[in-house]
Amino acid sequence: MTSNKVSILGGAALPVGKLQGLSDAGTQHLEHEVLAKLIVEALADAGLEKEDVGSMILTLPRPYTQQKYFATFMANYMRLPCDGLVMEVMGNGMTPALTFQTAVDQVRLGRTKVALALGINFETGTPAPEHMMSSMRATGDVDFHVPFGFTPISWYAMDAVRYIHEHNSSREDLAMVAVKNRAHAMHNPIAQFRKPMTLDDVLAQRPIVEPLGLFEVPGRGDGAVCLVIADEDVAKETGKPYVNVRGEGFYHEGAHQISEVPNDMIAFEAAQQAGAKAMAGAGIGPDDLDLAEVYAPCTIVEVLVAEALGLCPVGQGARQAASGDTSIGGRIPICTSGGLLSRGHPAYVTALYSYFEVLEQLRGRGAERQVTDAELGLVCTELGNYNAAMVHILEAVA
Amino acid sequence: MTQPIITTEGKRAYPPRMSDFTKPFWDGVATGSFRTTRCDACQRPSFPPKPICPHCWSDQVTWIDLSGRGRLYSATVVHAGPAVFAQDLPYRVGIVDLDEGLRIATRVLDETRLDQAVELVVLAYDDGPLYAARGISG
Repeated sequence: MTSNKVSILGGAALPVGKLQGLSDAGTQHLEHEVLAKLIVEALADAGLEKEDVGSMILTLPRPYTQQKYFATFMANYMRLPCDGLVMEVMGNGMTPALTFQTAVDQVRLGRTKVALALGINFETGTPAPEHMMSSMRATGDVDFHVPFGFTPISWYAMDAVRYIHEHNSSREDLAMVAVKNRAHAMHNPIAQFRKPMTLDDVLAQRPIVEPLGLFEVPGRGDGAVCLVIADEDVAKETGKPYVNVRGEGFYHEGAHQISEVPNDMIAFEAAQQAGAKAMAGAGIGPDDLDLAEVYAPCTIVEVLVAEALGLCPVGQGARQAASGDTSIGGRIPICTSGGLLSRGHPAYVTALYSYFEVLEQLRGRGAERQVTDAELGLVCTELGNYNAAMVHILEAVA
Repeated sequence: MTQPIITTEGKRAYPPRMSDFTKPFWDGVATGSFRTTRCDACQRPSFPPKPICPHCWSDQVTWIDLSGRGRLYSATVVHAGPAVFAQDLPYRVGIVDLDEGLRIATRVLDETRLDQAVELVVLAYDDGPLYAARGISG
């Protein structure tokens, strides 16, 4: 009898960093060469063979990637015939989560026993002001927001301003999230930013979108991840530890950046709804979780999503970063990888790093950043100003 | 109600597009009046103006005048921006809740604090209008 459950059986991830562009020798990193190595590494980690793979679901590369129609190109490059599906997925910051979900659905629908959820994001060869010419059009109405100069993270900055106003909080409170996440990243070998960092270091940086400074917003990075998704029967046969998808939830509030009907913008309704749905499906509550890896491009976002998911009381999310509640060893460790601020944010693959981190933690492979006896983890991703959220509950299977 | 018009040198950094449907909105802005559409079926206004009511999906909508007044819900000062806005840096943008129960996003011209009253003003550039919010004194 089959379990009908879907598992994450293995994975591989590139250290986040700046890879795009010409080296002194006039050579450059090519996306397909980088990703090919990860595919082989991930399959070995899963204990599976090339012939086992029936679907390959890729994140859409950035427009700066020269090779177009990258998914079919990779099928050729790896000489990998697939009878499930080969496709690219796009959903802005949610791209990697939608990629993961599509791979899970492939297995659940019986289209294949094994699917790869993978992708590569190379963008650092393009300067930020140029990059923002594109990203501003994805995070606002092109005719009614963009002409005023909103940037993707300006919306989060306005969340911060509203939060400080309503909860008598401060930039210093929020900045402790960055300090906490850096402490986590120091123990993560694939994190982009690993130097020790104090609150004073964070507060001393130049402003980017007030009140947030350089270390309170995400740096830019290149990255790549490959995850192996399989039917649990396949996972069991390997005899290796694996992780099951135990709950999932999605919600789009039907608004883009702001709701034209005034609402509580910092309640993050989509995260509330998606989180509640995922936890109900898993038959758990927030207190049952051992760790959470959330998509939080800025300090304030981690605070708000933690509150929306019920991991921290409303108005207390920032203070609980300062008090150690959300640190490794604390009540509910959040972003043990270092999160977007320190692990790094190669946007179209960022959430694949989140699933990879929880996979490692639930298999007891977190090394110095291991959460003791981690059995249940949550991954949350979003798009816009958390106008949509996708939540997965993952469970360790020994 | 007519809003103040501020003559602004140069062209808009990233001009909005205009459709046959939204032309009355932008034509109105150019002369200092802010309008949007309201649904004939459910009576709810929308912003931006839309040919289909987003609430009940009726296609029967009517143009109405807005007061051009509201309160500042949130705001930020942008110090790192897209290439086309480089000459404006730093600049303040914000979210305004209009008295009619509509939330919009726009430039903010002064240091008005959250929840304080603001009015919309027209920025008359050489190539067309934009709008912005500023505090109402007194």
